[in-house]
Amino acid sequence: MTAHSSAPADVKPGRYLLAALGRDPVSCISLAMLTTLFLCAALAPWLAPYNPLSINMSRVLQGPSLDHFFGTDGQGRDIFSRSMFGLRLTIMLGFTAIFVGGTIGTLFGLLAAFYPKTDTLLMRLMDIILSFPAILFGLAVAAIIGSGTTAVIIALSVSTTPLVARIARGAALMVLAQDYVSSGRAIGLHDWTLLRRYVLPNCVSTIVVFLTLRLGQAILLGASLSFLGLGTQPPTPELGTMAAQGIGFFFFAPHVTLIPSVTIFLLVLSMNILGDSLRDILDPRLRS
Amino acid sequence: MLRYAVQRLLLAIPVTLGVLLIGFILLNLVPSDPATVRAGPSASAEVIAQIRTEMGLDRPLWDQFLRYVGNVLIGDLGTSLVNNMPVAEELSRAFGATLELVVLCLLWALPTAILLGMFAASRRGTLWDRLIMGGSVAGVSLPVFLIGMTLLWVFGYKLQVLPFTGRGGPLWTVNGLRHAILPSICLGLIFIGPVARMTRTSMLETLKADHVRTARAKGLSERVVIFRHGLRNALIPVTTLVGLQIGYLLGGAIVTETIFSWPGVGRLAVGAIVANDIPVAQGAIIALSLGFIAMNLMVDLLYAALDPRVQAK
Repeated sequence: MTAHSSAPADVKPGRYLLAALGRDPVSCISLAMLTTLFLCAALAPWLAPYNPLSINMSRVLQGPSLDHFFGTDGQGRDIFSRSMFGLRLTIMLGFTAIFVGGTIGTLFGLLAAFYPKTDTLLMRLMDIILSFPAILFGLAVAAIIGSGTTAVIIALSVSTTPLVARIARGAALMVLAQDYVSSGRAIGLHDWTLLRRYVLPNCVSTIVVFLTLRLGQAILLGASLSFLGLGTQPPTPELGTMAAQGIGFFFFAPHVTLIPSVTIFLLVLSMNILGDSLRDILDPRLRS
Repeated sequence: MLRYAVQRLLLAIPVTLGVLLIGFILLNLVPSDPATVRAGPSASAEVIAQIRTEMGLDRPLWDQFLRYVGNVLIGDLGTSLVNNMPVAEELSRAFGATLELVVLCLLWALPTAILLGMFAASRRGTLWDRLIMGGSVAGVSLPVFLIGMTLLWVFGYKLQVLPFTGRGGPLWTVNGLRHAILPSICLGLIFIGPVARMTRTSMLETLKADHVRTARAKGLSERVVIFRHGLRNALIPVTTLVGLQIGYLLGGAIVTETIFSWPGVGRLAVGAIVANDIPVAQGAIIALSLGFIAMNLMVDLLYAALDPRVQAK
């Protein structure tokens, strides 16, 4: 091997990634913010000072104080604790949808690329789904199975699937044109082995980068559906639902709506910034 | 151009039928029985059966679908389960309001976004560029309801300069326009970010092209180079993006209408779903889908008008 390769093979990919992110201050701040938010969400049952569901009518709509860092809501519940649990549910919603949509989409995309006979059928189906905006899936699913967390997950998964299928198909077609795939075929590898061992690992970075960019959008959309009353139902803490519950007292206690909304903003903002940096580092092909 | 337009129009027919089919399936998948909802909680089984026959719910599904498509074609979308009003009448009123909101939003947000993108591209790497691009990332990360509630708080409540609930009449009246300002600003703000970003990227690409270098080499002023030789070519990918953003805009419109009590289709749909008023919900979802298809069609035609290469394909 010659000396000019920029990423030496003996450096672990994780460390290379962190070093690349570390060079950009904005990415560093985003990473720190995202880590904090994820830790708050993950450790909510242990860190939250109050039970997110316990009502205290003698402490209704209080502003931020030392007792209640973010104040209390219309039923005297601690907003700080509710935000932690809400963040947990909001992140889980986004991840579930991205995981389900990402898996099905990748499967469809790889099949379409690998078996040209299925290509037209699968991709036309994806085009049809793609021609409906995600929010309409949300409305339709909520109308059919009723409002709730499940409705949001289904709507987000369905609307993510065709996008991932397109990306996966494109990436797989590029991999399939490589010599090593023809070589694999020539030595008589089974289709499944070829897909699993050679095609999928070479498409994964493109798909993952896309999914990190999609995660923020999915979270925003899920929160919007909850805000409209079609997603997670009260009293379960979810950031969009919490924001909607504060509307009734918005003029004299704006923090009830603003705190969960700003939390969503910070979460999605740090995800978007990191997603952009990841794309630049991992997948130079997508770089503009 | 005409041939292309006709082709695109014909392609929209199967999609429209698909929307109607989905709308119909929606009606039949709902677990609650429309006849029972219509009859009310205390109705006897006979009354429910009679209403079922009246509504044609005892006929085979394919027969119901054909009747349903026929009815939609003559503008009959059934009546609301809640207030017995014809759905088509409620929808036509609401559709106008939504259209007003979207048009007003595009009218200010699209030129603003394109100008911001061009400005950032022409000042590449400067503080302005970074500010605009940073704002664009923040813009796509903001929940619509945070924008809406903040506008409502500042301009509607604190400064009390603009009304913030409902529609004040047609747009050409002073009161109508005043009522529409806050909702259209709210909707526009989520739209500016991605469009400005795309314009900047596309403009930078175009400014590298040979014909731009030629234009500069023959001594044209920078303004002529950017507007006449750069912009038109740079707008082609932007048009595609605007088409892709329409779904996003629709989602924003539904939330915006709910926050500002704007009597549009989105608010109608959400209200109907929450109230289990399936005919209205179905009608509103169909109307939103058809509106979406129509806007995409317009974007495609605009695209062809901007880029003669598309028509040749």
